[in-house]
Amino acid sequence: MNELMLVARREIVTQLRTKAFVTGLIITAVLVAAVSFAPKLLDGPNSYTLGTVNSQRLPLEAAAPDSEFTWRAFSDEAAAKRAVLAKDVDAVLVNGTKVLTDGEIDDQLGVLLQSVNREAKLGAAGVSIPPLKMESVGADTRYQAARTGLAVVLVIVLFMMLIGQVGMVAMGVVEEKGSRIVEILLSTLRPWQLFGGKIVGLGAVGLINLVTILTVGLTAAMVSGIAGDFPPGMPGLVAGVVVWFVLGYAFFATLAGAFASLVSRLEEVNSVLTPIIMVIMVSYFVAFYATIDPTGTLAMVMSYVPPFSSIVMPVRMAATEVPLWQAGLATAAMVAAVLAALAFGAKVYQRAVLRTGARVRLGDVVRVR
Amino acid sequence: MLEIGELHKRFAGGPDAPDGKIALDGISFAVRPGEMFGFVGANGAGKTTTMRIVMGVLQADSGSVSWQGRSLGYDDRRRFGYMPEERGLYQKMRVAEQIEYFGRLHGMSAATARKATEDLMERLGVAERRNDPVQALSLGNQQRVQLAMALVHDIEVLVLDEPFSGLDPIAVDALATALQERCRGGVPVIFSSHQLELVERLCDSVGIVSAGRMVASGTVADLRSAEDDTLRVVVRDPSPGWADGLPGTVTVSGDRHILRTTNGDDQEILRRAIKAGHVEHFGHERPTLTEIFKEAVA
Repeated sequence: MNELMLVARREIVTQLRTKAFVTGLIITAVLVAAVSFAPKLLDGPNSYTLGTVNSQRLPLEAAAPDSEFTWRAFSDEAAAKRAVLAKDVDAVLVNGTKVLTDGEIDDQLGVLLQSVNREAKLGAAGVSIPPLKMESVGADTRYQAARTGLAVVLVIVLFMMLIGQVGMVAMGVVEEKGSRIVEILLSTLRPWQLFGGKIVGLGAVGLINLVTILTVGLTAAMVSGIAGDFPPGMPGLVAGVVVWFVLGYAFFATLAGAFASLVSRLEEVNSVLTPIIMVIMVSYFVAFYATIDPTGTLAMVMSYVPPFSSIVMPVRMAATEVPLWQAGLATAAMVAAVLAALAFGAKVYQRAVLRTGARVRLGDVVRVR
Repeated sequence: MLEIGELHKRFAGGPDAPDGKIALDGISFAVRPGEMFGFVGANGAGKTTTMRIVMGVLQADSGSVSWQGRSLGYDDRRRFGYMPEERGLYQKMRVAEQIEYFGRLHGMSAATARKATEDLMERLGVAERRNDPVQALSLGNQQRVQLAMALVHDIEVLVLDEPFSGLDPIAVDALATALQERCRGGVPVIFSSHQLELVERLCDSVGIVSAGRMVASGTVADLRSAEDDTLRVVVRDPSPGWADGLPGTVTVSGDRHILRTTNGDDQEILRRAIKAGHVEHFGHERPTLTEIFKEAVA
């Protein structure tokens, strides 16, 4: 175990010291922060400037507390028209009976004006209508926009991180095999210590990346204020994301490292990694689809099937509410898959990594002895 | 005592060689503590395969490797120093860190590993490059780093595959000194080399491998005495037919006649030579290791 940690530590120190890691981390952090601010900048709180000509102001603030309203009074309709055409105001209420706009009125504003006007008039006539009580019997959709946004960001982050770290493990294995340093290492270390140390070390580097991204993203969201739109249970979601990343990484990295041990040259890495990259891509597409339709059959089924579940499940968890037992079941299935991958990967690695030269056939390695 | 007994290894064949290739065909030898053992043989004779089996990076089909009477295990090998034929270094890692890392992997504490690394870098002449990445070093210097990695820990046995290849004469001396020191400390040292003069100069005993078998082994002196001495006489401008009836062969080079023989009465030969012409050289010559080697693998 001690040796495994020594190997892991070397991987971490080596990676953290590279310029690529540092610049990569800074760029991702800036991007994530930008994404966290973007909704605020793009569609900040609705604010309307309204005018009145010979009318009372409508109590719009009470009906739409999230929006801001600025009122201006105009002396006559002509002045109001000029202001509308000059886009100084969005709409002008004339004589309490008509609304002047430049072209079609903003949908939300139109509905708002109509209903508040109706209510005010009815109220004045002594009729009071209790507002309809809204009750959802399905999933809580109040946070749907925020949830979808979170899920989209998450699917991209998880995909990039998995592809990146898994590639690193494969390259690291081939670097050691190709330079034959593995021969010296394995006269001192057992194969599982070397292989395990590499997976643990590069996984730790991935976690550092992921935690940085999450921290920057959440901090930026809090600063920008969009954190207020986040659904409840964010700490659970963050923990879930970390756990699912660890599981997905462990699965894909082990197989990638094992496949990479079949070849001796960096140019050959891509060809052995193709099946693994394909599976990650499929997971990515399904997960992306799940951001749109998190309760659909495809998303539901794939969120249980390892290794697809490693991206699909956390994305489903972000996009909608997932009962605990479902998350637990998917986790158990994925843990079993990781254990199987570790057993298989360690066997392949141990048998292939010292066989330098031409590409070793997977069948040969699995069959012998 | 490191004992290698009856190692057999056959590599799986390809389409062109369905039966595979026999790499080792029952090779056996032993190296005592404090003995320097030179391993010589033509390319493909089985030296590297033997060393890889000793280091546990390759499995023999049959045969045994034992150290101090016990079958060699993983924990024993951790105290071995090894330098494979195919050199391997982390190209981007710094020199000192790399040597230290291997010390740590062999179970040294951080402080001892650092100290041992400093000592070795001084001795092998790479101390001023300690913070450079390995890839910035010349091949010769990379080789020194490779050696330092094999020597850094407290080794019980040293196994080096072609440690001298690619080194300049100064580095050869530095390495030879380092090996001799280890040897004097009671460590058995096995190294392979094609530089036979070097093997002859450094080694207590030599093993000559050919086609996966040990064809001759023993001390250099033993190997020599097994071969007969050659008497070599050089006579300038001798009378014609002077060597008629003498054993051996005569070669003519200009006005010099050179007689080589491994038997006959040397005093009689000398008298005949003096009578025939001007004797420039008369002496017994011991075969060099190169000659023994050529004889053994022929």
